[in-house]
Amino acid sequence: MSAVIEIAGLRKTFHTLRQGRRVAVDDFDMLVEAGQVHGFLGPNGSGKTTTLRALLGLVRPDAGRMSVLGASSPDRLPEVAGRVGAIVESPQFFGNFTAHRTLRLLALAGGAPTARVDEVLEQVGLRDRGGERVKGYSLGMKQRLAVASALLKRPELLILDEPANGLDPAGIREMRDLTRSLAAAGVTVLLSSHILAEIQLICDHVTIVSRGRRVAYGPVDEVLAGFDQHQWQVRVAELEQAAQVLGRAGLSVTGHPDRLVVTGVVDPEVISRTLGEQGLWVRELLPLRPDLESVFLELTGGHDHVAVPRQVDGAPPQDGVIDLDVRENREVDA
Amino acid sequence: MNLVRAELERLAARRFVQLMVVLLAVAFAVTVLTTLGGSHRPTPVELSRAQSQAADEVRRMELAHDRCLRIKAGSLTPDENDYLPRECSQIDPAQSERLPTASDYLSGVFVFAKEAEPLLYFLIAFLALFGFLVGASYIGADLNSGGVVNLLLWRPRRPTVFATKLGTLLGGLLGLSVLASVAYLGAFWLIGQASGLTGRMDGEFWASLGAIWVRGLVLVLLTAALGFAVATLGRHTSAALGTVAAYLVVWELGARLVFQILEVARPDRYMLSSYLAAWLAGEVRLWDDSVCRPGISGFCDGSYTLTWGAGLVVLLGLTAALVAAAFTAFRRRDLV
Repeated sequence: MSAVIEIAGLRKTFHTLRQGRRVAVDDFDMLVEAGQVHGFLGPNGSGKTTTLRALLGLVRPDAGRMSVLGASSPDRLPEVAGRVGAIVESPQFFGNFTAHRTLRLLALAGGAPTARVDEVLEQVGLRDRGGERVKGYSLGMKQRLAVASALLKRPELLILDEPANGLDPAGIREMRDLTRSLAAAGVTVLLSSHILAEIQLICDHVTIVSRGRRVAYGPVDEVLAGFDQHQWQVRVAELEQAAQVLGRAGLSVTGHPDRLVVTGVVDPEVISRTLGEQGLWVRELLPLRPDLESVFLELTGGHDHVAVPRQVDGAPPQDGVIDLDVRENREVDA
Repeated sequence: MNLVRAELERLAARRFVQLMVVLLAVAFAVTVLTTLGGSHRPTPVELSRAQSQAADEVRRMELAHDRCLRIKAGSLTPDENDYLPRECSQIDPAQSERLPTASDYLSGVFVFAKEAEPLLYFLIAFLALFGFLVGASYIGADLNSGGVVNLLLWRPRRPTVFATKLGTLLGGLLGLSVLASVAYLGAFWLIGQASGLTGRMDGEFWASLGAIWVRGLVLVLLTAALGFAVATLGRHTSAALGTVAAYLVVWELGARLVFQILEVARPDRYMLSSYLAAWLAGEVRLWDDSVCRPGISGFCDGSYTLTWGAGLVVLLGLTAALVAAAFTAFRRRDLV
């Protein structure tokens, strides 16, 4: 497959008078291939939006190479801009313009056919509200309008930064269906989101970033498999006896009041046979697979610190509070 | 071309622009109606009396000049009411820029030739304010609201976007200014025709009015470019307004006071307002206090002149520098 987005060694540092120097992205790499629905995950302030802005020529990187649809960015970005639809962080529009006028002006400025306006308004569910002023729109409606603006060009590559922001559950589902239908039509989608379940449902590939660095990437299944500890949840009538039997058989068992968790077992038959041979009958045997949320939290340092407020932007941890530093870069071949 | 069309439409659709155009129309209508209501076509008797008064005044000026010459020649002794300039030519009616005319003695009669200049200055002042505010808000609101980011996602060529926005602003403003001035002066000319006098509108009158008009239009465009540039540098409309307010308070008022205390020579030449007045009026005559200090005996002329040329150089230089700085900032700036 051909690379649609390639980023290598991206670095961006912001300098402000008040806060001094802040590294937003550091030696960051990313590869999105044609046809992928690629999830881009990271905690607040981890550098996702900065990466997308750099890719789209909105911020100037300090170092690194980037290309979009084969054109180096930002130098040759104008050559492919007509094939890239993008929304970057909560997009804003002039409140006094209607959605229809907003899209018409964008289409006019960008050389897209203005006849597309009605089509995309319908596509994002704003057909009947397109004549209203944007200032009367809810956050979710503005988000739909932003997606509509990205769709105006019939993009080959769609970059969506937090498209589900402000959407209600029905809206999130509609956005998911829309993304799937676009992907089915051959559009490559790069999707940044905090809603991990959504990413897991929609995306086939994922890149996880923490404190400006890539910490995991690859097909979603393989990233998850990399964290699979082959755990099984076991329920039996005699928990203590079962734990002893499994322990004697050399299995790693963790006891809970209502269940056992057995770790490191590839084939569950071992568990049921071991218990059955001792007259202990399994009532429930469930695989405990890692989901994107647990992987994300583990990689970005959000695990096991439920009671401690996690600080945005990877501020240096204070003693005994929390450690956000991710030293592991888990790579899974695509 | 599409970008220009889109930007022109965006500019015209902005509430602020529409509000300012309505304000201009209201001010225009009020001025026209009050002028129309306060003017009448002079009767032959009024006209004859005014012509006679104007002739009397010219005669009085000639006598005063003649008397000055005779006093200077020593053939006449001056009395306490005589005004004696250094050169009698200064009060020579033949050399006067403008002699009294009948229109000066007509009460309640609108005379276009007499009123056109101040009316045009009022229009230029309004359009300059309009240009500055619209220029600042056009880019300021766009930068602040994310409009520029949206546009750059479609057209990732910053120099083109900047130049198109500025060009559209100046082009649109020029078109509006030309239309507004033609409509404005045309309406008052009609009032003069129908309910007053048009006055003496010779080639000299039109040349003078035309020069003010052209200089006024240039000033309108410069103020719009200034507002646009400062708002771009400050990323906000209020940056432009704040800069102007700060300049007026700190420099035009504060620094002027300091210059006076320190007795700096010709402080007005450091003030933008002097160059603005020089450009608009053609030239401005200023007074330098430091020249005629106590102890100097005899006649002392502490005046000096700033010409429209100096005004243009300063205003154009300042605008060009700020636009260049804004262009550089816009091209290199991180849009976060």
